[in-house]
Amino acid sequence: MKKLFNVPDMTCPNCAMHLEGLEDEIPGVRSISASYKKLSMEVEFDETKLTVEQIIQAANEIGYHPEPVSA
Amino acid sequence: MDLIVAFITGLTTGGLGCLAVQGGLLTSTLAHQIEQDMQRYNGAGSTQKFKPHIAQPILFFLLAKLIAYTILGYLLGAVGSVLQLTPLMRAILYFAIGIFMIGNGLRMFNVHPIFRYFVIEPPSSLTRYIRRKSKNGASFFTPILLGTLTIFLPCGVTQAMMATALGTGSPLQGATLMFSFILGTSPLFFSVAYFATKLGSAIEKYFTRIVAVTMLIMGLVQVDTGLNLSGSPFSFSRTISILQAYALPAQTGLSVEVTEYGYSPQVLHLPANQDVTIEWVTRNTKSCARSVVVPDLDYQQILPVTGRTQLDIPPQEKGAIIRYTCSMGMYPSQLVFDLDPTETNQ
Repeated sequence: MKKLFNVPDMTCPNCAMHLEGLEDEIPGVRSISASYKKLSMEVEFDETKLTVEQIIQAANEIGYHPEPVSA
Repeated sequence: MDLIVAFITGLTTGGLGCLAVQGGLLTSTLAHQIEQDMQRYNGAGSTQKFKPHIAQPILFFLLAKLIAYTILGYLLGAVGSVLQLTPLMRAILYFAIGIFMIGNGLRMFNVHPIFRYFVIEPPSSLTRYIRRKSKNGASFFTPILLGTLTIFLPCGVTQAMMATALGTGSPLQGATLMFSFILGTSPLFFSVAYFATKLGSAIEKYFTRIVAVTMLIMGLVQVDTGLNLSGSPFSFSRTISILQAYALPAQTGLSVEVTEYGYSPQVLHLPANQDVTIEWVTRNTKSCARSVVVPDLDYQQILPVTGRTQLDIPPQEKGAIIRYTCSMGMYPSQLVFDLDPTETNQ
């Protein structure tokens, strides 16, 4: 499953790399592609192992507050 | 750009600007090194105080980065020499660098979301590869690999310096320029990386504004250089230097002294409506003033260290102004054709 999030509190290109680093930290995440230009990140994950809320929680822990974009 | 200027740029904005992007990679490598050292320390059951070996990987990282960017500078200079950049192309390049730096400075101040588009983001696949290497590496190999790979993660200031290396049009100049710049970034990089675990992200926030202000100033300087190289009368430095020159008595004659500090006189008054031949006079001159550019005449010449070089100028209308500068856009000066033929002093 792919889910798009707005991440309004990215302040520099390094923030995108921080967020992408979560793909190695959260079991069930296949890939994260974050963009500082668009202030967004797209997460591809296994919905049987992980929920959107858990992704938001993991991002909160490193200082970001993603908001799910409704399809 | 002078090598000392490149070094100082690296020492100040370059080091600070690149910390955000490249510092994280180095810090994670260091964390891995500390973990390894800790495991060895615990395994050995030593009674001495634990001391992680972090200076060595930082040095490997910085050395690899220095070599990689010097090679990159050589290649950029080689590309620039093949392209044979005209003064106007160099002017456009400097102008673009300036706009890029100003855009990045304004982005750092969060002036408007549109300035986020001044950032060149590396593809996720590349950052993923580098990130995973930084976590899995061993001893000296990983810092060397990461130091080399930083050429794919250049910060805004580094990108501007790379464009400047391209503009030199010389492999050797491009290499020495990037060498000086990266060498300049190294002391701060080493210090901050060494103390990174203690300083954390606080230092990043503190320095962001300093970097932003410096980026804005440097961006304006680059735009000004571009304007000088294009022969525009509207550059800030040209306005200042010409106003200073006009405060002095009008200088006539047919020669221009090329010194370590520019051209003298800065404003030379010449006869209108006739062929004129002026001489560039160099006396052990080693500054960039030796590389003279006259955009209006599409003339660029590297003068001998010592000697006299003639420039034939076709008749100019009375009141015409021909502007010139060195190839780095410094020392803006001009020839003013406002004399009658009899007024010329040889």
